[in-house]
Amino acid sequence: MQNFIFLQRKSPGVLQQMSGDFLFNKFLAPKYVIISPMREHKKFLKKDICITAGILGIASLVALLLQRFGSTDTHVPLLFVLAVLFVSRFTQGYVCGIVASMIAVVEVNYVFTYPYFEINFTLTGYPLTFVAMLAVSVSVGTLTTQIKQQEQIRLEAEKEKMRGNLLRAVSHDIRTPLTSIVGSASGILDNQQLLSKERMLELIQDVKDEAQWLIRIVENLLSVTRINGENAQIHTDDEIVEEIIGSAVLKFRKRFPQMSVEVVIPTEFLMVPMDGILIEQVIVNLLENSVLHGKTTKNIQIVVNKHANRLIIAIEDDGEGIKETVLPVMFDGCLQSMEGEEYDARRNMGIGLSVCMSIVKAHKGDMKAENKDTGGARVLFWLPMEEEHGH
Amino acid sequence: MDIKDRVLVVEDDKSIRNFFRTVLEANNYHVVMASTGTEAYSLITSRCPDVVILDLGLPDMDGIKILKNVREWSSMPIIVVSARTHERDKVEALDLGADDYITKPFGTSELLARIRTAIRHARAACLAPEGIQTGVYRSGKMVIDYDKHRVYIDGEDANLTQNEYKIVSLLGKYGGKVLTYDFIIKEIWGPNMKTDNRILRVNMANIRRKIEKNPAQPQYIFTEVGVGYRIVEPE
Repeated sequence: MQNFIFLQRKSPGVLQQMSGDFLFNKFLAPKYVIISPMREHKKFLKKDICITAGILGIASLVALLLQRFGSTDTHVPLLFVLAVLFVSRFTQGYVCGIVASMIAVVEVNYVFTYPYFEINFTLTGYPLTFVAMLAVSVSVGTLTTQIKQQEQIRLEAEKEKMRGNLLRAVSHDIRTPLTSIVGSASGILDNQQLLSKERMLELIQDVKDEAQWLIRIVENLLSVTRINGENAQIHTDDEIVEEIIGSAVLKFRKRFPQMSVEVVIPTEFLMVPMDGILIEQVIVNLLENSVLHGKTTKNIQIVVNKHANRLIIAIEDDGEGIKETVLPVMFDGCLQSMEGEEYDARRNMGIGLSVCMSIVKAHKGDMKAENKDTGGARVLFWLPMEEEHGH
Repeated sequence: MDIKDRVLVVEDDKSIRNFFRTVLEANNYHVVMASTGTEAYSLITSRCPDVVILDLGLPDMDGIKILKNVREWSSMPIIVVSARTHERDKVEALDLGADDYITKPFGTSELLARIRTAIRHARAACLAPEGIQTGVYRSGKMVIDYDKHRVYIDGEDANLTQNEYKIVSLLGKYGGKVLTYDFIIKEIWGPNMKTDNRILRVNMANIRRKIEKNPAQPQYIFTEVGVGYRIVEPE
């Protein structure tokens, strides 16, 4: 597995977390659930036992009903074969299927065939019933497992592909500024005598700008590590909306002091469950996108609204707006959408936006973008105001 | 000849040490370097620096251990530098007695501001060890009058309640420094308050409505998300 070794030089924990696998799981495809071995195993065992008991119980009930209406000797074994088939299909591995077939055989023999309530292995055809049931459970179990394995292999392959794509995209995004930093720095070192002071300062400014760009990428990648566990679980606390927005605006101001940002927020006191750091990152990303992609942006407005148990935060700017061709695919990530166009790292909104999207999705909210009638872009996201399960 | 403040920088990365040395010397500090925890500890005891800049990720020991050791016998200002992104680590370092923290990557102006604040607080604590705040605190249009127990905005009384005033004056006492939620709660409501910080957040929201023009674009009291609050430095 490849690691993003460019992130931090001395923080093995982070590196491990940032491995491609992790990124893929939580960032690009939160819908795929990767099962962690021990805990999940126990959970499945419990579930499987319930399924087995349930299906056998239903079969027994039906058999009892049939028994009321006359001879059941021919129907009951078939019924139980069917039950065994279902058990094998809906449980993991072979064990439950085999156990079910054993129980079924005993039950059929003891309860439902003449002589009733007596174990009698000398019945004609009895061994055949037994062998048939066993064979059914084993072969269905094998088939099911095989199908599952193939599915797993297919997922793995897809994952591998996505991971490759992500690595390529990230490497590209990082290689450009790195080239510029190395180039400018060695340019200064090698040509100290030749360069004018202005030229030198210009190069140093470039180094600073490019490094800042790298910081932005790394911050985004790091915030993804906060989304963890299966199903993109996050840890939420009640946060005061104005504090998060205030803090995001402050961070943004440090980088773009010349931009005017106005926050329109209800005077009401709004407390919303969220991971404050992540939502702050979303807002910072959107503000920066307004500047970097709006091109002519001068004023940005953050408009906060409460609507039907949803907190809606919209970031509006007066820039050039979003190209119609980009609108439908802009949240898809950096992979497919931008290939056709001139692929410039600066124009690539990919990583920032898809991080925003996965953060908002992890909060069970959603996000959309549009152009305002008056020109400029509006990107908005909403979060549920109350936790679904309460406290 | 003026006496330079002595800064001990504990950092194992060579290029970052270089950067610290360049920036700090250019700003008239006397710089001492340590690259391991053991070296740092012996320099702290032998050279008595005015401020320590401590990187938490050292090759031979966790920076937190040094912090704990030093706090057993000294209250010298320690600024923690961390590459860790989780706010838990920051809160832990602050609660263990760090004066401030700064997260990599940081800019020079941020670094210098933190060093100035830390040294100023250490000096102020020496002069008024009893901690009873007198006089006024002024920043922009906000004035905290410690004698009258009032906060004024633009000359007008902001009408803070008693707890609200206590919070603001506590922040003012540590002006420029981040205070964790737990620290503020213990100082205001006492040690038996449950750790839920909701009551503090609600109070803070009310304070902001009284002293800030727009609570979402504060000028005086800033939020460090997940860590605590910081009031603007006094003028």
